[in-house]
Amino acid sequence: MIAGKSFMKGPHNMKYLFTTLLALLLSCAMQSSYSSTQGKKTMVKLHTNHGVITLQLDAEKAPNTVKNFLGYVNGGFYENTIFHRVIDGFMIQGGGFEPGLKQKSAGAPIKNEAANGLSNDIYTIAMARTSDPHSASAQFFINVGNNNFLNHPGQDGWGYCVFGKVVDGTDVVDAIRKVPTGFRSGHQDVPEKDVIITKAEVVK
Amino acid sequence: MPHTLLISDLHLGVDHPGSMVLFRRFIAEYAPQAEALYILGDLFEFWAGDDDLWDELPAQVIAALRNLAQYGTRVYLLHGNRDLLMGKTLAEACHATLLRDPILIDLYGTPTLLSHGDILCTRDTEYQRYRAQVHDATFQQLFLAKPLAERKAYIEQLRLRSTLEKRNKDSAIMDVSDSAVAALLREYHYPRLIHGHTHRPACHEHIVDGHRCKRWVLGDWNQQGSALYCDAQGCRAVKV
Repeated sequence: MIAGKSFMKGPHNMKYLFTTLLALLLSCAMQSSYSSTQGKKTMVKLHTNHGVITLQLDAEKAPNTVKNFLGYVNGGFYENTIFHRVIDGFMIQGGGFEPGLKQKSAGAPIKNEAANGLSNDIYTIAMARTSDPHSASAQFFINVGNNNFLNHPGQDGWGYCVFGKVVDGTDVVDAIRKVPTGFRSGHQDVPEKDVIITKAEVVK
Repeated sequence: MPHTLLISDLHLGVDHPGSMVLFRRFIAEYAPQAEALYILGDLFEFWAGDDDLWDELPAQVIAALRNLAQYGTRVYLLHGNRDLLMGKTLAEACHATLLRDPILIDLYGTPTLLSHGDILCTRDTEYQRYRAQVHDATFQQLFLAKPLAERKAYIEQLRLRSTLEKRNKDSAIMDVSDSAVAALLREYHYPRLIHGHTHRPACHEHIVDGHRCKRWVLGDWNQQGSALYCDAQGCRAVKV
């Protein structure tokens, strides 16, 4: 179509046609590779005692982080863990403690991949960490507010790595964010009644 | 009996209304009998700058401390890690004197070194790096030049970020390093040491170069008020 028109109009028809066709071919190639990775967005279901939260993970933008997270999911690490810290308007955090606030031993820390363009918008999932930017391991949080200040570069030059979002079950997240919390065993903002992840699984 | 009271780590803020009640009672009932009151840092949960002293909570704290002047109680302040931006304006409003950290004083004949205590947590290298940055005069100037609302938002975001810490304990509360304590005691010729910050109230004894040195750690005001009562006979912990 476009090639045809320029072929008709341009003084250097062949050269113009070649470059236009080349551009078209290149864009086609890019299109097909984009759609093939688009199909690779892994889905994970978190079964909780408040309902099911379905996550869509972005392995393209946060490959290492997603791989690390899936390792814990597939290894059953998140089974019988709790959302141990809930701050309405900010985030709900889990992946590190069993009921009774017993901390679990996590695996090796991973490199910070926060500079990936993804934003800590409401209902996205990101990795929790200490002030060491490369200290994330098993704990994660789901944003229940638009927490742009957590994005790369953030306050510490690194930010917090978003690696997916809730695509189903935002109502469950909303129920969790509203649970009454208090001070328990030296921790603040702990849900008075345990919010438990009974199972975490990759959706086939 | 002439005595001095030392407190620290009250973390007064809107999220801790109970501590405010304890503080007001302490100032009204205990402090007037003391010759001096030393507040060794983290009086406030956060301090965005002295232009915040007209806010409700600071105003109450200032009123309480000012009131001590009529009893002749001298008030001294040290910076904590939370309220490191406390300045001369606030001190003057409280009729208090800001002291540097650490500071050596004569407490009824016993040379006594006072510190908030965070300088002793040398094992927490991340924190020491952060501390060096926020204590830098240029950094503080730049920060204080921002509008108050912006400073408060930044501090609030810092606080929220700290809740994402995955460790059990608040990362700022690591214990002191024995070697850092020994070095400090040696530098100041083996005094008694009194500090806060770690929220681990106790009395320790350190033997440095053959000298026995007592190290008193003040308690925080999370569950109850905690103070150190010092007179010519020594120190003892008191609950408020």
